[in-house]
Amino acid sequence: MSAPGVSLHEALLQPGAHDLRRARTDWIMQRIFQVAAFLAVLPLFALVFYVTLRALPWLSPALLTNNPLDQQPGILNAVVGSLQMTALAILVTGPIGIAGGVYLSEFAPRRVAAIGELVIDIMLGIPSIVAGIFAFLVLVPILGFSGWAGSAALGVLTLPIVMRTTQEVMRLVPPSIREASLALGVPVWRTTLLVTVRTALPGVLTGLVLATSRSLGETAPLLMTARGTNAENFLDFGTTMNAMPIVIYQYANAADERSIGQAWATALVLMVIALLLNVLVRWRTVNSRVA
Amino acid sequence: MMLDMVSEKSKRAKAAVPAEQHQGSPATTPADQGGVLALGGVEAFYGSFRAVNNVSLEVQPRAVTALIGPSGCGKSTLLRTINRMHETIPGATVKGSITLDGIDLYDADVDAVRVRRVIGMVFQKPNPFPTMSIYENVAAGLRLLGRTPKSEMDGVVESSLRRAALWDEVKEKLKQPGTSLSGGQQQRLCIARAIAVQPRVLLMDEPCSALDPVATLKIEELIRELAADYTIVIVTHNMQQASRVSDSTAFFSMDENRAGYLVEAGPTPMIFTSPKESLTESYVAGRFG
Amino acid sequence: MSGAALDFSRQRSASADPLFRRILAAGAAAGGILLLVITGYLIAYSSPLWAIQSPISFLTTPAWITGIEQADGSVLEVYGAASVIFGTAATSLIAVIFAAPIGILGAVYLVEFAPRRLAAPLAFLVELIAAIPSVVFGLWAVGDLSNRLRDSIEWWIASSFGQIFPWLSEDPTAPASDSVFRAGFLLAIMILPMIVAVSREFLRSVPISLREGYIGMGATRWEAIRDVVIPTARVGLIGAVLLALGRALGETIAVTMVIGNAEGIPSSLFLPGQTIASKIANNIGETSGAIPLASMVALALSLFLLSFFISLAVRLTLRRFSQVRIVS
Repeated sequence: MSAPGVSLHEALLQPGAHDLRRARTDWIMQRIFQVAAFLAVLPLFALVFYVTLRALPWLSPALLTNNPLDQQPGILNAVVGSLQMTALAILVTGPIGIAGGVYLSEFAPRRVAAIGELVIDIMLGIPSIVAGIFAFLVLVPILGFSGWAGSAALGVLTLPIVMRTTQEVMRLVPPSIREASLALGVPVWRTTLLVTVRTALPGVLTGLVLATSRSLGETAPLLMTARGTNAENFLDFGTTMNAMPIVIYQYANAADERSIGQAWATALVLMVIALLLNVLVRWRTVNSRVA
Repeated sequence: MMLDMVSEKSKRAKAAVPAEQHQGSPATTPADQGGVLALGGVEAFYGSFRAVNNVSLEVQPRAVTALIGPSGCGKSTLLRTINRMHETIPGATVKGSITLDGIDLYDADVDAVRVRRVIGMVFQKPNPFPTMSIYENVAAGLRLLGRTPKSEMDGVVESSLRRAALWDEVKEKLKQPGTSLSGGQQQRLCIARAIAVQPRVLLMDEPCSALDPVATLKIEELIRELAADYTIVIVTHNMQQASRVSDSTAFFSMDENRAGYLVEAGPTPMIFTSPKESLTESYVAGRFG
Repeated sequence: MSGAALDFSRQRSASADPLFRRILAAGAAAGGILLLVITGYLIAYSSPLWAIQSPISFLTTPAWITGIEQADGSVLEVYGAASVIFGTAATSLIAVIFAAPIGILGAVYLVEFAPRRLAAPLAFLVELIAAIPSVVFGLWAVGDLSNRLRDSIEWWIASSFGQIFPWLSEDPTAPASDSVFRAGFLLAIMILPMIVAVSREFLRSVPISLREGYIGMGATRWEAIRDVVIPTARVGLIGAVLLALGRALGETIAVTMVIGNAEGIPSSLFLPGQTIASKIANNIGETSGAIPLASMVALALSLFLLSFFISLAVRLTLRRFSQVRIVS
């Protein structure tokens, strides 16, 4: 090693055992980091590959146009059910979440904003099964197992997502932009809607898409609220409603090959929708985040 | 680390005495031929962009050489090629030769890590390690080199801090984080940190640009003192600073492809009073840059 | 906002401002109210259970017996959450043990070493894992992953350490079809993207100048990571792991599909078990009667409180870094 007082020649050209050990450790650690990163992406490929492999033989036009009890069974009612329950949840919690997020970032007094953030954190951490049991306790006794109850359970999960993303992107809007508008005498509400929210709109939409994606994939809360059905359920929120995750869960361990195949086919459809939604919004944001 | 700090404190009283002997002893004085740095046809690239074009320059040992020139003329890039920091940026490459006392720093047998031990660097913004105490900041480089006995470490930390004119200000709070100091103190801490591993050369990349005038003056005095023992290359935007601290000055400019090149180099008084090139003259007269 | 003309224009249309603010505030209040209502419902609907059993006994009893009629005509009812709490703790810890090192090391690679062109796509792919619905993970595990784990990692651990630690043993001739370990490993994959994404943000927030300072005094890149980057980002990395732990605790459907849903505390991690969430998912459908329902709600309440405290811990850990996005 190069102890104090060694010659330049030694220091530069005659590495000691300690120097060589350090260089080797550095090399080994770099490989370890590389392997870890590789391991981190591996599951994505393994999963997508395997699901596609198992689902392909069962994909057919009938899958998306027929209901489970038709001659050629399909998952039409599950796709419809998933989409409409999610749509209802987003239609209700989207505006509320955006309003709340805008309030917390633009108008809330410091203390209120801090409490609001904590509330959102806690709500984001609520396990989906807890949201499910809440809807089960509150709505199922009144409305029965139904699309309404399913949507409500999903809404509990989507609300904090929308609120948090809105609040975060609003915060990134430079103050100068709203000040410029306010200085022109534009009232606060117009400034907020037409200037601040509009500037942050891509981010707000990102929040809505993420919430939609999350909601489409939720299973446990729907099992105890919407329950699933074999019947057609277009806009039939008053009774049990089917959803893609329910089909996957219920057929995963089915006895007959055909049902199992449907589970895989449904999984592929659901996965493709979820991945597309995320590709849509994440590609833009993944590397531009402020830390 | 924590243990080190505790025992460090208990030894403080004892360490203060032998540390006096460290001053001027081999622990802080570079040996060898003095650190003659020679650049031959150096070119630096970021990807395909040439930031520095064909610079040849001989740097005097144990003296201060200032690199001046308008922003973007590649002075900082050139400085970073000397201790091979340039190549840590993805896609950055160097051509040409740089030797220290005749040893080619880009030789295949020379590891960049070892180059940086003999050629220390002080950066534009003071960058003490926030998770390390003042003591640990100074000891960090030596710790990398292997086990140094506690008492010896105490001595090196003290003599390095004394050398950086910081000891009296921090001797009571060595365990506090380095980031608790003022900007000027932080920069002197970074200088102490750099000289603790006994480099032959010190590179300074606009070391005062983030400091107030008083702190700047202190650092400049320090640079003058350090020049007795180290070869110092300093990049500066401030021409007064260059004229105050440096023995030699090299003036750089940018060619039509935005690549930096050396216009001329020479003793500082000559560059500032009677440069050979008219470009240099108009720059030092403040007509551009 | 000065000048008569501007003030005048303001008078005309700014009258909507207070109303506007109130509408927005109502939106924010909805979140808080919903949280309070959920908490209220969970407490209220679990209360019948506390009439026959104390919360302490609920949390510490392993047995769960729903109304068995005894010979003497009395009905035996015991609701003990200890075994499902064990299952939740075991699966979550297994998940963190595997996911935390790989996630953090992978994030270091993305931030410190990956070439620019590779870093962004890799980070993107890892984040995409978070987009895949939990039930799809469950199906994948049922159809493929679970058996692979049984025959590889699980088999290796059991044959290497099973003799020494009974809780890592497995019958080599007849391994269980489901196990706590496999559920935990599946969770590890599911929480990995969260650990990578949050760690990456904190590693990226460490100033380049600190790395350069250390490398500039003769440190290798690994030494700079070990001594400067990781210590500086430490708090964020802990937060990332806590966040992922919270996610693992509450994960329901994927775990339910592979853990085997067996009552009691398993004697080995390679045997079937049950988590709080999987028990609720499994049993709520057949639950009737006030007390059994209350027992389910009590489970949900414990899970809710658990995640509540984790969220609180995350917020306390990361409170200096309010900018970090936590949606995933």
